[in-house]
Amino acid sequence: MIEKIHSRQRRRDGTVPCPGGRSQRSRRKVTATSAALLASSAALVLAACGGPAASSASSSSSGGVVDINWQTMWSGNTLTLLSQMVNEFNSTHPDIHVTESNIPSATGDAKLLSEIAAGDPPDVFTEWNPVLGEYAADNSIQPMSSYLTGTYSGLEKWLYPIALQGGEYNGTLYALPMSMNSWALYYNKSMLKAAGISSPPTTLPQLYTDQAKEWKISGSKLEQIGFYPLYESAGSPFEYFSSFFGAVNCVNSAGQYNLASCPGAEAEANFFVQYDKYPYSSVDATQTAYGSVAGGDDDAFVAGKEGFNMDGPWEGAQNIPVTNSAMVGNFGVVPFPNTVGGPSTFGQGNYNIIPKGAAHPKQAFEFIAWLAGYNNEAFTSQMDPKGGWMPASPSIVSQSAYQAWLKANPWLDVFVQQMSSPYSVTPKLTKTESEFLTAEATAAGDIAEHTKTPQQALAYIDQQANSGAGG
Amino acid sequence: MQMATRPLIQALQSPTSRRLRLGLLFVSPWIIGFCVFYLYPFLATFYYSFTRFTGIGNPVVIGLSNYSGLLHDGTFRTALFNTFYYTIIEVPFSTAAALGLALLLNMNVRGQAVYRTLFYIPSIVPVVASSLIFVWIFQPSFGIVNSLLSDVHITGPEWFFSITWSKPTFILLGLWGLGQPMVIYLAALQGVPREMYEVAALEGAGPWQRLRLVTIPMISPVILFNAILSLVLSIQYFTQAQVIESPPGSPGSSTMFYVTYYYQQAFQDLHLGYASAMAFLLFIGVLIITVVLLRTSSRWVYYENDQR
Repeated sequence: MIEKIHSRQRRRDGTVPCPGGRSQRSRRKVTATSAALLASSAALVLAACGGPAASSASSSSSGGVVDINWQTMWSGNTLTLLSQMVNEFNSTHPDIHVTESNIPSATGDAKLLSEIAAGDPPDVFTEWNPVLGEYAADNSIQPMSSYLTGTYSGLEKWLYPIALQGGEYNGTLYALPMSMNSWALYYNKSMLKAAGISSPPTTLPQLYTDQAKEWKISGSKLEQIGFYPLYESAGSPFEYFSSFFGAVNCVNSAGQYNLASCPGAEAEANFFVQYDKYPYSSVDATQTAYGSVAGGDDDAFVAGKEGFNMDGPWEGAQNIPVTNSAMVGNFGVVPFPNTVGGPSTFGQGNYNIIPKGAAHPKQAFEFIAWLAGYNNEAFTSQMDPKGGWMPASPSIVSQSAYQAWLKANPWLDVFVQQMSSPYSVTPKLTKTESEFLTAEATAAGDIAEHTKTPQQALAYIDQQANSGAGG
Repeated sequence: MQMATRPLIQALQSPTSRRLRLGLLFVSPWIIGFCVFYLYPFLATFYYSFTRFTGIGNPVVIGLSNYSGLLHDGTFRTALFNTFYYTIIEVPFSTAAALGLALLLNMNVRGQAVYRTLFYIPSIVPVVASSLIFVWIFQPSFGIVNSLLSDVHITGPEWFFSITWSKPTFILLGLWGLGQPMVIYLAALQGVPREMYEVAALEGAGPWQRLRLVTIPMISPVILFNAILSLVLSIQYFTQAQVIESPPGSPGSSTMFYVTYYYQQAFQDLHLGYASAMAFLLFIGVLIITVVLLRTSSRWVYYENDQR
């Protein structure tokens, strides 16, 4: 058509419109090149804005094999483990082929939302941010209840109760963990000995007294930390310490946070305040500096500069051996002293979800259940130790590989025992948990900076978490 | 009907029209890119600013609620103040520093090229990497800066981790990326005719007068360009503060910059409607400041070919 218009034009005025006296042939070439450019740009734009039809690009079926995409936010050493897991799944499931991809955690959720909005989400996404409640409430993720039949009818009972609860929103299962977190008190053996303390603390007052002997501050220089629960690098102290004070679910039946009238939360805030005589800014600076190296796997405890640390099994299983081998054998673990009556942990983990619009939800669920270790206990029991992860089920713990790991690292037993402790609690998924965490991190800093009293901090958290800032 | 359309067809087939079509065809990749990646997001942001939207599902129109919410949002006011504080100091400070550096590097000294390269190198280091390095450099207990200060019996502050010092430290950190404007100033300085300096010298002008009366007026369009660029970048300050402070915005709320808060609202708390209102206000703010700067520039910017 373009060619016809040009031909007519040439016949009518007898001129060649191209500047520089180009021949008709070269003009045709230019026009054709322009058209190709236009077509290419249009194709690029269409590809970028591809709707649901484009989803076949990331997950498809070919020759009876279903291709599914697994997106995670991990980096560093963990990626090697993920590759091993994917290879194992692909070799044992000839009808499904998993491709794993990673995105930086800072943009992980934003990318997932964009993919869902564009109709091209991954089939499986590993989520550790506190957004499952919001995603479930918005129907951004698919419920898994319909798959809990046949082979999978026993899956819920197979899980630790706290692992199951962490994936439920309003009684419906939306997520399954591939690994769980468990929190306990690490202590530095040589620092404990140097301070003349014979055994690690079992009560909160003992912890305070013991750690006070370990601080070393020379002038304005912080040389050694005893224990500091409230440095902001810890992320979400109110949430992480909540199970030790019975403050995990200070939420009413409507999902509204009410920490200001929750005795456990008040006890927790007062516990933080107890430590405010120590130099918050210096601790924060030290922890941030260590946290900026070794892929974030380092901290003052790993560096041998902190007497006590509340952390998970990965600290001893992965961070210390990889980052500072001098600390291997120089640490011990005990349940974190608490007010609830027995060993307790805050139930949390790495949960796999099936985003809305995922092309192959059934196969995605099959992969997710396999990652959790269901009917795959033997392999999972080999992988969990490598990642320093707590399993999602006691059946994995009883496997010989896991038992061998526990035998070689007896300090891990504390974490495992806490998983089935009646005092361990999982927070209810709420629609505003991310707002709650943003607010509590700010409030924790405000307590440390003495700009808010504990009661003001708790009221601030409630107000921010319940109202949000806007649309 | 045929008679009426004939002039239109003739107009479309005229050489001018053909050239226009061909020109549009050539620039179409840019036009499409602009529409898809700038115009559409801009219009969508404006629309979303009147909605409650989490990124999933349909946005719900809530009128001006997001804008009125911003008026009553204490953190937003803090973010505005912090950004204003940073910008008002950083822009003149970095402009003066980059210009000063360019003047030094424009002097005829041995190893000039080496110095120029050395001062430019920092600006090509990735921002995240350099930010992490500065966490260690400014570490209060074992960082090199405080160690040097203690050698001369000065107790260094806690830099990024002090409510009082955090913003000034970020302003200092801004000096690290001066290579880019410095190179632009250097190019401008080399464009100032030598004869003007010779005439000024003959008239008895000293170095300071030559700088004030010859150099600065002659490169003032470049100063304006760099100032606008620096202003826009300062108002959108984000990466370094996001990487260094944990949680972002700390200590206290002393590093809660406008875009830090915007990012938190949009991608942490998924308040995309609210964040859109923030983004739109940011656009309006930058637009107004830029227009004011351009309008007032006629008083201090010298354009050689100015016919006004």
